[in-house]
Amino acid sequence: MIMEITKDITIEDLIEDYPFSVKYLSTKGIRCIVCGEPIWGTLEEACLEKSFTEDEIEQAVKELNELNKQNK
Amino acid sequence: MMTKQEILDKLGISDVNMGLTTGTKWFDTEGKTTTSYSPIDGKEIASVKNGTIDDYEMVITKAREAFKTWRMIPAPVRAEVVRQIGLALREYKEPLGALVTLEMGKIYQEGLGEVQEMIDICDFAVGQARLMNGFNLQSERPMHRLTEQYQPLGVVGIVTSYNFPVAVWAWNSALAIAAGDVVVWKPSSKTPLTAIATMNIIQNVLKENNVPEGVFNMMVAKSSVMGDNFLGDKRVDLLSLTGSTAVGKRAAQIVGKRLGKTLLELGGNNAVIVTPNADLKLAIPSTVFGTVGTAGQRCTTTRRIIIHEDVYDTFVEKFVNAYKSVEKKIGNPLDSNTLVGPLIDKYSVELFQEAVTKVQEEGGKLLFGGEIAKGIGLENGLYVVPAIAEAQNHFKIVQEETFAPIVYLIKYSGGVENAIAINNDVPQGLSSAIFTKDLLEAETFLSGMGSDCGIANVNAGTSGAEIGGAFGGEKETGGGRESGSDAWKVYMRRQTSTVNYSTDLPLAQGIEFNL
Repeated sequence: MIMEITKDITIEDLIEDYPFSVKYLSTKGIRCIVCGEPIWGTLEEACLEKSFTEDEIEQAVKELNELNKQNK
Repeated sequence: MMTKQEILDKLGISDVNMGLTTGTKWFDTEGKTTTSYSPIDGKEIASVKNGTIDDYEMVITKAREAFKTWRMIPAPVRAEVVRQIGLALREYKEPLGALVTLEMGKIYQEGLGEVQEMIDICDFAVGQARLMNGFNLQSERPMHRLTEQYQPLGVVGIVTSYNFPVAVWAWNSALAIAAGDVVVWKPSSKTPLTAIATMNIIQNVLKENNVPEGVFNMMVAKSSVMGDNFLGDKRVDLLSLTGSTAVGKRAAQIVGKRLGKTLLELGGNNAVIVTPNADLKLAIPSTVFGTVGTAGQRCTTTRRIIIHEDVYDTFVEKFVNAYKSVEKKIGNPLDSNTLVGPLIDKYSVELFQEAVTKVQEEGGKLLFGGEIAKGIGLENGLYVVPAIAEAQNHFKIVQEETFAPIVYLIKYSGGVENAIAINNDVPQGLSSAIFTKDLLEAETFLSGMGSDCGIANVNAGTSGAEIGGAFGGEKETGGGRESGSDAWKVYMRRQTSTVNYSTDLPLAQGIEFNL
């Protein structure tokens, strides 16, 4: 599978280009939007802030890409 | 009321707009295009071309160059430009206020109020420009003069949020420009049109006064283009950021690494205390404005009401009744009858609904609202019925700031010190209020053992600050102060000077050093 979403994508771009990500990441404990604005930084940084391991980040990226495929 | 097209035409907003200016010159950038949609009906208003990394470099270079000239112009002369900007804003108050409403969704009265804040801070800065003074101090050495003075600081980066899309820029810019600084503004990507309109309004003033390009800069950009690099840029002398605690913490770390200066205006979790001695005729309407004004999207929105058990039932009954009236006035914010407009986007609605669910899961009780409002004109799903929930202060959801109209009612018993303890028992520290006619309760609330917030009001709500006082808060609110009082000092470099006008060289502390 070609990975469209990578861990380096900024949260701002993720929300804009893949809006379904907000709900998915919320279930993982990551709030992409606080005070009505996207948080700054990359997907990887947001995951690390929530103490995700490297494997968990990889899994999250994989699942986001799968969701993207389903949403197309 | 003007039509949408009339508003846009008056403010010089086209279908596609350039998103970068250095004052009077606009640049056709090649970044992504951001489309601005109105939360009123979900329809596209117009779009904006974003700046790129190269554009950012150009702007900062231009700003640093302009600072060399601007800092040497006398402060009252600099402030004359600010005075004229205030006049221009008066001329365009109605269309700009309407665009704020159109793009952000706050009711038109609040849109006008936002522009009035811009005007007020311009007026304030004009006077302040003649009083950006330091101290003359008493030297311990004979024939020495000891003074403190304030010098222009440099480039001020301003990051603003969608909820006050233009007022916060004005709070910072009016003072910074009068202080001899130059500004680089990154507006919210959700409200770029109000930023462009503001720059359109002021550009004639800049032209007529020959203000150098690079003094007033504005660039619409993604955080990947103007994010961490902006925060970490040593050429930015002060970074003023209004936004969430999450973004503020990131900014503090990055700016802190270079020992730069920040002015942070972050989240609030503001409470109103209602004591047994409160005048409910004041407390109810004031608190309702605090909870549902701007659809709960102010950083000073009242999030918690701490009510004494003796007046709890009476207060709740009246408060819920007031919400029943408010519910009838949810609608198009351009309509003069409307009191509550839409939330900014569907994500905010989801967070609102999530909070309503969470408070109940934690054991709270929903007393009113919490659903998506239905009706003609409300079909886009961004209008919600403001929620009231009974809760405990320690609930996780109560400790967080939900940027939507949900308020938590918390009962207290005993003395006012118990209510103050609840008020202070949250991570944030922006605004607070007490309703009481009892002098002892009021003064305790305002004392060293009182509210730990940056703003503490008596018989006035948590939101709706005047520009004359310093605005900001403690703890996770960030500690910054902007707007009135002595907030101007953050935009200036403090300098202590000793002048020896004797022919001797006495050292401080009487130290002997004979060569």
